[in-house]
Amino acid sequence: MDSCLGGNDGLGQVGYSLSMRRLFLFFALLLTWPALAAPPLVLAAASLQESLNDAANAWAAKGHARPVLSFAASSALARQVESGAPADLFVSADEPWMDELAGKGLIRPATRVSFLGNSLVLVAPAAAAHPVAIRPGFPLARLLGNGRLAMGEPNSVPAGKYGRDALTRLGVWASVADHVAGAENVRAALALVERGEAPYGIVYLTDALASKGVKVVGTFPATSHAPITYPLATLTSATSPETEGFRRFLLSAQAKAIFRRYGFATR
Amino acid sequence: MRMSFDIDVGKRLGEAEIGVTFQSGPGITALFGPSGVGKTSLLNMVAGLLHPDRGHIRVAGETLFGEGADCPPERRRAGYVFQDGRLFPHMNVRSNLRYGMQEGGWMGFDEAVGFLGIASLLGRWPRTLSGGEAQRVAIGRALLSNPRFLLMDEPLASLDSARADEIMGVIERIRDELGLPVLYVSHNRAEVHRLATTVIEMRR
Amino acid sequence: MSPDDWQVVRLSLLVGIVAVAAALPFAFALAYALARGRFPGRVLLDAIVHLPLVLPPVVTGWLLLLAFGRQGAIGAWAEKWLGLTFMFRWTGAALAAAVMALPLMVRAMRLSIEAVDRRLEGAARTLGAGPWRTFLTITLPLSLPGVAAGLVLGFARAIGEFGATISFVSNIPGETRTLPLAIYTALQIPGEEQAVLRLALISVALSLGALVACELLARRMGRHAHVL
Repeated sequence: MDSCLGGNDGLGQVGYSLSMRRLFLFFALLLTWPALAAPPLVLAAASLQESLNDAANAWAAKGHARPVLSFAASSALARQVESGAPADLFVSADEPWMDELAGKGLIRPATRVSFLGNSLVLVAPAAAAHPVAIRPGFPLARLLGNGRLAMGEPNSVPAGKYGRDALTRLGVWASVADHVAGAENVRAALALVERGEAPYGIVYLTDALASKGVKVVGTFPATSHAPITYPLATLTSATSPETEGFRRFLLSAQAKAIFRRYGFATR
Repeated sequence: MRMSFDIDVGKRLGEAEIGVTFQSGPGITALFGPSGVGKTSLLNMVAGLLHPDRGHIRVAGETLFGEGADCPPERRRAGYVFQDGRLFPHMNVRSNLRYGMQEGGWMGFDEAVGFLGIASLLGRWPRTLSGGEAQRVAIGRALLSNPRFLLMDEPLASLDSARADEIMGVIERIRDELGLPVLYVSHNRAEVHRLATTVIEMRR
Repeated sequence: MSPDDWQVVRLSLLVGIVAVAAALPFAFALAYALARGRFPGRVLLDAIVHLPLVLPPVVTGWLLLLAFGRQGAIGAWAEKWLGLTFMFRWTGAALAAAVMALPLMVRAMRLSIEAVDRRLEGAARTLGAGPWRTFLTITLPLSLPGVAAGLVLGFARAIGEFGATISFVSNIPGETRTLPLAIYTALQIPGEEQAVLRLALISVALSLGALVACELLARRMGRHAHVL
């Protein structure tokens, strides 16, 4: 009995304290592990899906942890950030949503760069594509006939807003406004043209190039709309130590080459 | 003597096989036997709600089943009084009674209502009736459908003795005054003894 | 509420009512077949009916586009022979809503049909009612609480339908911009929180109103029946 108790007292206490320390170390590691090894979480506009995936792969090929990419409409992503989503980088499809976050102090202003550009094009189903000269007063309404013009919803989807601005400046918007089919996003608008449900659509050049079912029949002059730029910024909620590294990579020559391959314009 | 019921049927029901053969004359033919022997199934076959595997069913000279015939239930003109009444819950007593009525039935509405003593129940709903009242309405409903014969499945089973006595009086009146062939199922010897003209005993 | 809001509400009500009315006969027929039928492929039919419940709405919308778009097999036929277009029109929104509401309607109605005591139907037959009269006077009235429940659920689902609608017929004010799409559009615009709140409240009021109205209706019909 005595030896048992004594044995427990002596060895038991040492054992207790050793395992407590191990436990502490384990938990410390557990809590800090995410920060130690976590790749950056990037929230990006849907139109960047293929190109950003390629860029992330290239970054991973250099031996870094592959960034986690989340694609959605810029508006949805911005609202997620506003609600406290713990992301590291945000790439928006237009300036207003980035402005919204900047106004609420959710980005680090010094890291904000508009690093990509895009152009707006008119597309038609590949089987029925004839060139259309896009200039002031061009007869889009007549070309549409009683069909619809597929584009992002003109009030809320960035591509739709650009499209409406361009058509307005070319003096054509009033004649086609009632014939617009506002899609949820640019890819949906593209699908409508691919399927032949809409005779024409307005999408980004990058989207048109990604689809085999449509052909670009005309390009909107850069002067007809505000520059289509994609701002990139680090969020104040960023925790990944790789965030700045990946951000700089996106601005590097190697990444620019990747984006240009997809049809983006780079600085 | 004209045969009221001329029945010779067989049917397999699950594990059991039912085989019944009998002929009977006018009045009440009682089917007597223990529970589960197939009395209700036989009634259902005569009513057309269950198909025999083989045989024939003739009632009051008409072939309802067999020899190429297979009359659907709605044309057999069987007045079926079920053990649980089976009044339609979404109709009041009057609508229940009138459900099967046609022009030129041999018993008028007021006549049947008087016969059964249910005049005070006409506006009520089945849910609110007592066992005895519901059973009388069920009998009335069957009588008013201008039947050529009656099928009664243990109509007194869920009644207390006073009610049962009351209904037995009604059934005696049907036997003596209306002259319809009646096939009456019961497992109660006393009932059968009092009411039956002919007794057919069913055994396992 | 602004005129725009009224337009959205009117459109939502139109789409919801037409969707449920159009789906009703199909839903009842399917419910009856599934409740009473004994035919090969019944399980498969059951599964197909439930597909819109389990498929991502975007997929359902895309399938509708394939089948009912102007280039789709059924859509082209409907346009040619019935003069009916679904693409980019409120009829398409109603179709999407009907498809999404159908499984809920079938479930409610089927339960109710299964609960009808077949012995009552047997009693009606012995009283001289043929199969059709038995159905109309016994089966149908007794399964009405389930039909009512199906209508309520179907309507609530129909006016809340979003994913399949926007993928199928896009977001066109006056034609396909129902309440959910209008709320979504407002959410996409920075600073439109007021509009979102307003439209959301209208949406809640509509749904609650539908539920309460149908509950009252069902109670009156079935005396002691209720759908909730």
